[in-house]
Amino acid sequence: MLELDGDDPIELITAYATHGWGDGLPLVAPTDERVTAMLGADGKDPAEVIAVLPPRSGLATRRMIAVNAVLAGCDPVQLPVLVAAVQALAHPDLNLRGVNATTHPVAPLLIVHGEIAERAGFNSGLGAFGPGNRANATTGRALRLILLHIAGATPGPGDVSTQGGPAKYSFCVAENLAESPWGSYAASVGVTSASAVTVHCGEAPHNAHDMESAEPAAILNKIASAMTSTGQNNAPISQGEYFVALCPEHAAACAGAGWTRDDVASFLFQRARMPAGELRRAFDLRAWEPWQRDIGDDELMAMTGHPDNIKVFVVGGPGKHSSVIPSWGMTKSVTVAVDEPRSTES
Amino acid sequence: MKVYTPAGQTGPEPIGLAPSPPVLAGKRIGILDNTKPNAGVLLGRLAERLADRTGATVSLIETKNAALAAPDDVLERLSKEVELVLTGSAD
Repeated sequence: MLELDGDDPIELITAYATHGWGDGLPLVAPTDERVTAMLGADGKDPAEVIAVLPPRSGLATRRMIAVNAVLAGCDPVQLPVLVAAVQALAHPDLNLRGVNATTHPVAPLLIVHGEIAERAGFNSGLGAFGPGNRANATTGRALRLILLHIAGATPGPGDVSTQGGPAKYSFCVAENLAESPWGSYAASVGVTSASAVTVHCGEAPHNAHDMESAEPAAILNKIASAMTSTGQNNAPISQGEYFVALCPEHAAACAGAGWTRDDVASFLFQRARMPAGELRRAFDLRAWEPWQRDIGDDELMAMTGHPDNIKVFVVGGPGKHSSVIPSWGMTKSVTVAVDEPRSTES
Repeated sequence: MKVYTPAGQTGPEPIGLAPSPPVLAGKRIGILDNTKPNAGVLLGRLAERLADRTGATVSLIETKNAALAAPDDVLERLSKEVELVLTGSAD
């Protein structure tokens, strides 16, 4: 515990900063009373280690997750989301050591699925990527504070991102299940629990707008153009995923024409391409699938190695703006169930 | 007011570096090239100069992806075949 002279919030961020803690923004004081309330009365052991996070090998216990949730301004109802997100971060496929070590501006995008999104007040609609909603903002921020404090991803010794990035402050959104014509993204990857989270380590969203088209192909051609860039790590790393966040109107246009979620991914796989020779000239080092190495310089090369690497979900409100969230590359998204207290409602 | 500190405890220590050989004469030097741009050139030249000055030999060059841990078979060959490994290069 740290002893402060008073309860002035400026004193807290100043005292924390002397230890290299905090994200630069004001913090909520993690008193024992607040941390106890955050942990709730669900009977789970606060000392349980949920994950060991690199590079610091920090023990992410329930209590330490709760401490960082308080610091970020979370409500206790959000804690199960955060615990599940930490489990996802620690999955070997996500490669957190690499995510934290790279010069790339990668940040973990946390997508909340299912019942808890509504119950905890997450925003899946208008302006879902922010700002303005406490659950989205503080859960995303708490995940970053966990990376800074517990994992040791401190800019400099633990995170050498060349420019950093705004998504590294907070990057959390809820899936708009009510307006998803294809049901839950989590269920589409085999996680059928009432609530779940997905963590995808990528860039901040790249906008793709289409005001003109009613046809899926015309809309998706524009989204494919946002995916087709030699500035993205997906270009030289074919295992990299794209998360395509369709707005409800674009999703409805696709579904209305009979297109499934997989159809959208397959079409984008076909259209997000550039000449293989251009990619070869741009990158000395290429982590491509074996079959891609035999594509001629004048032929078109897909921006990712498989249609399954294109992940489609629905988010946002009225309007015709979707977004593409490219990958850091050497990472795979992870979806896990949220273990939450049973609702008392019948 | 008392507040929690935010970092908590750390788990088991990651595997540390083996002690460096006090004398390199007659020893074998390996290179673990992480394939970052010019890493192989830099590490190769460093190894050659180190070998020239100490009487060691450069006997094994392995490569790995910079973003991933070295595969077990690479680590096994290095641990069996050399006494010193040069590695690590950023962008």
